[in-house]
Amino acid sequence: MSDYETEGEAGFDSAPGDQEPGTHSVATGVRNYLIGVALAAALTVGSFWVASGTSLIYVPGVPMALAALAIAQMGVHLAFFLHITTGPDNANNALALAFGVMIVGIVIAGSLWIMYHLNVNMMVPSSMMDVHTQQ
Amino acid sequence: MLGKLTWSSLPLDQPIPLITSIVLIVIILATLVWLTAKRHWPYLWREWITSVDHKRIGIMYCVLALIMLLRGFSDAIMMRAQQAIALHSPGYLPPEHFDQIFSAHGTIMIFFVAMPFMIGLMNFAVPLQLGVRDVAFPTFNLVSFWLTAAAVLLVNMSLFVGEFAQTGWLVYPPLSELQFSPGVGVDYYLWAIQISGIGTLITGINFVTTILKIRAPGMILTRMPIFCWTALAANLLIVAAFPILTATLGMLLLDRYLDFHFFTVGAGGNPMMFINLIWAWGHPEVYILILPAFGVFSEVIATFSGKPLFGYRSMIVATMAICILSFLVWLHHFFTMGAGADVNGFFGIMTMIIAVPTGVKVFNWLFTMWGGRVRFEVPMLWAIGFMVTFVVGGMTGVLLAVPPADFVLHNSLFLVAHFHNVIIGGVLFGAFAGYTYWFPKAFGFRLDDRLGRAAFWFWIIGFYVAFMPLYVLGLEGMTRRMQHYDVPEWQPWLIVAAVGAVLILIGICCQVAELVVSIRNRDSLRDLTGDLWDGRTLEWITTSPPPSFNFAVMPNVTGEEAYWGMKQKAIEQRRLTDLPDYKTIEMPHNSATGFVTAFFAVLTGFALIWHIWWMVIIGLVGAFATFVAFAWRDVSEFHLSAEELAEADHRRREARIALVEGREPGITPVEYSGPPSHGSNEISHRVEPDGGYKGPASKRITTGYGFWIFLLSDFVLFSGFYASYAVLSHATAGGPAAKGLFDLKIVMLETTFLLLSSFACGMATIASNVRNMLWTQVSYAITGLLGVGFLFLETSEFAKMLAEGAGPGRSAFLSSFFALVGLHGLHVTVGLLWLGTMMAQFWAKGFRADIMRRGLCFALFWHALDIIWVGIFTNVYLLGTSP
Repeated sequence: MSDYETEGEAGFDSAPGDQEPGTHSVATGVRNYLIGVALAAALTVGSFWVASGTSLIYVPGVPMALAALAIAQMGVHLAFFLHITTGPDNANNALALAFGVMIVGIVIAGSLWIMYHLNVNMMVPSSMMDVHTQQ
Repeated sequence: MLGKLTWSSLPLDQPIPLITSIVLIVIILATLVWLTAKRHWPYLWREWITSVDHKRIGIMYCVLALIMLLRGFSDAIMMRAQQAIALHSPGYLPPEHFDQIFSAHGTIMIFFVAMPFMIGLMNFAVPLQLGVRDVAFPTFNLVSFWLTAAAVLLVNMSLFVGEFAQTGWLVYPPLSELQFSPGVGVDYYLWAIQISGIGTLITGINFVTTILKIRAPGMILTRMPIFCWTALAANLLIVAAFPILTATLGMLLLDRYLDFHFFTVGAGGNPMMFINLIWAWGHPEVYILILPAFGVFSEVIATFSGKPLFGYRSMIVATMAICILSFLVWLHHFFTMGAGADVNGFFGIMTMIIAVPTGVKVFNWLFTMWGGRVRFEVPMLWAIGFMVTFVVGGMTGVLLAVPPADFVLHNSLFLVAHFHNVIIGGVLFGAFAGYTYWFPKAFGFRLDDRLGRAAFWFWIIGFYVAFMPLYVLGLEGMTRRMQHYDVPEWQPWLIVAAVGAVLILIGICCQVAELVVSIRNRDSLRDLTGDLWDGRTLEWITTSPPPSFNFAVMPNVTGEEAYWGMKQKAIEQRRLTDLPDYKTIEMPHNSATGFVTAFFAVLTGFALIWHIWWMVIIGLVGAFATFVAFAWRDVSEFHLSAEELAEADHRRREARIALVEGREPGITPVEYSGPPSHGSNEISHRVEPDGGYKGPASKRITTGYGFWIFLLSDFVLFSGFYASYAVLSHATAGGPAAKGLFDLKIVMLETTFLLLSSFACGMATIASNVRNMLWTQVSYAITGLLGVGFLFLETSEFAKMLAEGAGPGRSAFLSSFFALVGLHGLHVTVGLLWLGTMMAQFWAKGFRADIMRRGLCFALFWHALDIIWVGIFTNVYLLGTSP
């Protein structure tokens, strides 16, 4: 349909991954990616440092710290590489992302919660497992 | 040469499958011969097989569903017959055959009847209701259909080559593992569902994008017909839930084919993880089926009550609430399998809560009828039958949602009665309502009324006679899937149930007769106006059947019930709107891509099932080549001139004038003189007639958004594998653990490679935006080289682990590790193949708009892979080796 090709006819809307209109200059574009790479690299180094067994971090807090760093880095990638913003032109893309993140969260957290309970309740002595295993 | 396939794979010693196969083959051959003799092939090829018209695709989906309904129903009547006679006797079906029948019945009815029927109705009606000419991705739409058809072919092949699964329709492990099901039955199931799952996922992406991005001018979201809203919710659920199914069945395939240990009883595998994941898909799935049916009923009830739908906005809220809540109830499918009181309590309460929005809907339908002038046409009969039946099914569902009650009733015929009560009474009645409602729109003539009524009454009475006894049997303690039994008190009820199945059979015969008689009498059943039901939504503004382009000019929507408003205005003024300004439009070309893809899908699936590895390679290479050829096409659209459109629209307006002036005999418009249902409607009229929505988005936005939705579904796919890893990461079965196994130096290098390749890909995006070919190609080449470097590191890491005896066969932990990280590696591989073809396209065709759109999608894909890697290197490698 010819209508589809008229850019911007649908009002405030942009394709995911496209930079906001007006930021098309090469220099700003490259700078954006450079900031992204720098932040991502810093967070990566941070993750490796946290996991290396540094005494500066309370050991049971390591998983939490790793998760926080991972989420932060994913955010950096989304903002600087995928150009997902909170602007009105990106509302549709951000909403879709939010829906996806919610489902991912439900699947992972729900599975862990359910499987933890099943494992606790259905713990079978290893001697009985041998009976079940017919290999 | 032919893997496991030998002459003994054919059922030469089993009379029932053998005779069925021969009869089916004869029917298929006779059809093919007839088509060839009558020279119908060119027509079929041009107008149907390669047609990207959403209406044609929708009709093909419905035909597929109706044919498979016959297959699924013959399974049902065989089971009813077996159970009616199998008291103290083996009946006439041997156990292994009976087991295949109930597995095939469930699989076929859900995946190949209910799903294609609903998808078919959405395909047909949604673009029409949105006032547009097609879906967002017409060719992919056709690919979806053909992949579903390929899966149907595979499932039916199992009838006479090999066997089908004997494990129930959800192939629970450990029974479905190689150890206990060494045959090809489970493999038929798995590959068929994987292939149709891809098709369904593409449909989901297509329709989410269509509904959110491509609507007629002025069709803001809160003016969309409810069917479009329910279609949106159902397709969001498809996009979010089907990847979980793909992941789960993928893990079972790895177990069966490559000696992984996700769900095995040995080596730390955990069958409960399968049951958890499959229902995380399975419960949203039932709403994927029922939501579009709710939409159909909303349209039908409003139309035949001659009133706007009561509580339009509460209907939207209820639909979207169900969309979210359906993801929070899955454990109720396995209350009794070991979860504690708090887990059961949470999911039990959520299950009861989800009944609330459903209840809101039922009251909305009732209030829509209240005060209306109800016309009891056949679609309305189905809708009323649904309301009564579905409420019964819903009530028994709420009963089953109470965990203690479920401990008594689970796995019994009470459960079987419950879900047939909601699926037949809800989904199937909805499908039939939609079928009779939209049939005249699709073909230009209505279905025979008397046979339609007869079919309805036989179906609904048959349903009650067949399934109410099952509730009693369930309470008497009869479990499901019994090939024989020795409780004499059960038999009378089972005989009654069998009689009910026969009544349903008569109903189905009425439907077949209805179709035949209607086709024969089509001239007297003709719909000349395009609006024979006195409709309210935009599909009734165009002719029946609609032209390929649906609307010569996209309608301008100024409020809810867009068509009703225009019609009432026209009737008031006794004239149509002024002649619009016709403009040339572009329509998509036909495409053989779908059919060819399906051919290779069948080839690959069949080869995988029978372990014919050379054929697998041919199939995969063929499928890839098909996509490259499709991507390489230069002309994807053709033009329809303004004159052609004006001429076609002239004929439509002729028929309309007769309707408006009341000269058309038959249905006279019902005047509804009550106040408008929504004040807001009036307000938006005054402020901004188009509500701020100017019409379909550009192709770049549409394509990018569609791909974005795909990526989100990909994230869900990974989340399934990651959840398995998180659960199984301690199941080392005495083998190596993460610590000491992972080499963090390599991981650091891999991470660096991917991050830099992401940067290079960004540079390529910038270079292509300013049309600089050299830098585009150089940046893409660097992206690719870094990707190859990453893959090399990963492969050598895997090889080292395998050499040390730490392969996926060692433990569940290693299985889940290899699957998760390997899946990411597979994505990188696909990305590199894609990148190669895309670079060639840029080189050969320059910065053409369609190639640029592909560049956008590739960038999204590549950056998303990096995001997934961030999750993997932190949560798998670093967490595994941290103190």
